[in-house]
Amino acid sequence: MAQHACELSFLSRSDGSALYSIGLNVALASVNGPGDVKVSNRLYNRSHLEVCYSPSTGHSMIRERALESVIMRTVEQAILVHLHPRTAINITIQEMQSDGLALSASVNAACMALLDAGIQMKTTFAAVTCCITPSGTVIIDPTEAEIQESVAEATFVFESSGEASVLTAHQDGRLSYEDFKKCLHHCQVASKDVFAFYRRMTEKKYQNEIES
Amino acid sequence: MPRMNSFHIGGRIESLGVVLPGDKVLQLDSEDCTKEIFLGPGLRRHESIVYATRSGPLKKTSQNIYYIDNYQRRYTPLQGQFVVGIVYKKKGDNYIIDIGGSEYALLSLLCFENAPKKARKEMRPGELVFGQLLVAERDMEPELVCLDVCNNAVGIGPLPEGGLMFTVPLHVTREILDPQSTLLKKLSSLVECTVVVGSNGRVWVAAQEQRHMLAIMNCLKLLEVMTKQEAEQNVYRYFKKFLH
Repeated sequence: MAQHACELSFLSRSDGSALYSIGLNVALASVNGPGDVKVSNRLYNRSHLEVCYSPSTGHSMIRERALESVIMRTVEQAILVHLHPRTAINITIQEMQSDGLALSASVNAACMALLDAGIQMKTTFAAVTCCITPSGTVIIDPTEAEIQESVAEATFVFESSGEASVLTAHQDGRLSYEDFKKCLHHCQVASKDVFAFYRRMTEKKYQNEIES
Repeated sequence: MPRMNSFHIGGRIESLGVVLPGDKVLQLDSEDCTKEIFLGPGLRRHESIVYATRSGPLKKTSQNIYYIDNYQRRYTPLQGQFVVGIVYKKKGDNYIIDIGGSEYALLSLLCFENAPKKARKEMRPGELVFGQLLVAERDMEPELVCLDVCNNAVGIGPLPEGGLMFTVPLHVTREILDPQSTLLKKLSSLVECTVVVGSNGRVWVAAQEQRHMLAIMNCLKLLEVMTKQEAEQNVYRYFKKFLH
């Protein structure tokens, strides 16, 4: 598994922000909310979620729209949206560097930014990407080169509480049913490390409370 | 889990470690009906298990109030809190006030002391007002009042001109308002000032000279980056350099 690193409250003007890196992949997520919302997006019983994804190079196109949709649906499972009716929660993700794990880094950055902003959530969530080589080896957190050489690539987002359900599954390539289960199992085991990392980062943020 | 005990007026506050959303905080025993437990901000109950909904240090007071004391910038209105608002405009019988939440708050023209008398001064857009939230539900528009239950203005109302308002994270306002905290006492011993702290993260300071107000602002902002004890130690050093 690649090295994870994170800096919380990276942006001074956001309600919450996180600069998250997995290996050479870096994503910056900024969360603002619950705040004002346009009348057209106002929902009487819940908060309106908006995700804006900016790629590191080039304009935002269909690929970015798809990523926004995936991230939005993942985040929707975790946030307690019914606590803030007629508001909007905006998540903006800027892809700083990408080496194949843009989705994972973005989802994890979004989770840490939501924690930083203090928005009430049911659970935390962690994304893990793996790829399977032609010889059947599963590589967790592969590089772009390893993904190109692989037979299939899969990203799973797990929740931390309850039964550790899968919130999002994204798979690319040809995977047999057995291989799919193998990838899912390896990713679930790796997600425990990501949750432990979140806990360490949160303890670091509140170390003044613990020491004093 | 690291434990910290600090003595607080009215009892002890015990720190039970840092939690993340989804963590099981308490298992409520349905047979044991003798203990009364209160759930504060950041916790929610589902059947017989209490879960954390925010990340932060879990704390418990001696009266069995559990809560999560997290660091946050965004304010969500809560009934009974005192907030510093900015007048946005006047609409009919109400002022529309920006209190930093997702919605503007209403402040009725009648909710001031001396309201019916001609002595009432009209507030213009951009002026500051210190009020208490009478109504603050997730499904309703927040409402402010500048009166207490006996219709007296107990230090709340429009703030005079000539002060300085700045924003701090919400946990800093809680630290300043903590009865155990001696930071404000130390500041007032060094310089004559008026400090109005809103639970929405906005603090208003008035002093004789502008540089005094800036010095007080910077001292209070120290709490964003250091602990209470370190901030209090730095206050004297800061003022010594500043007031020359």
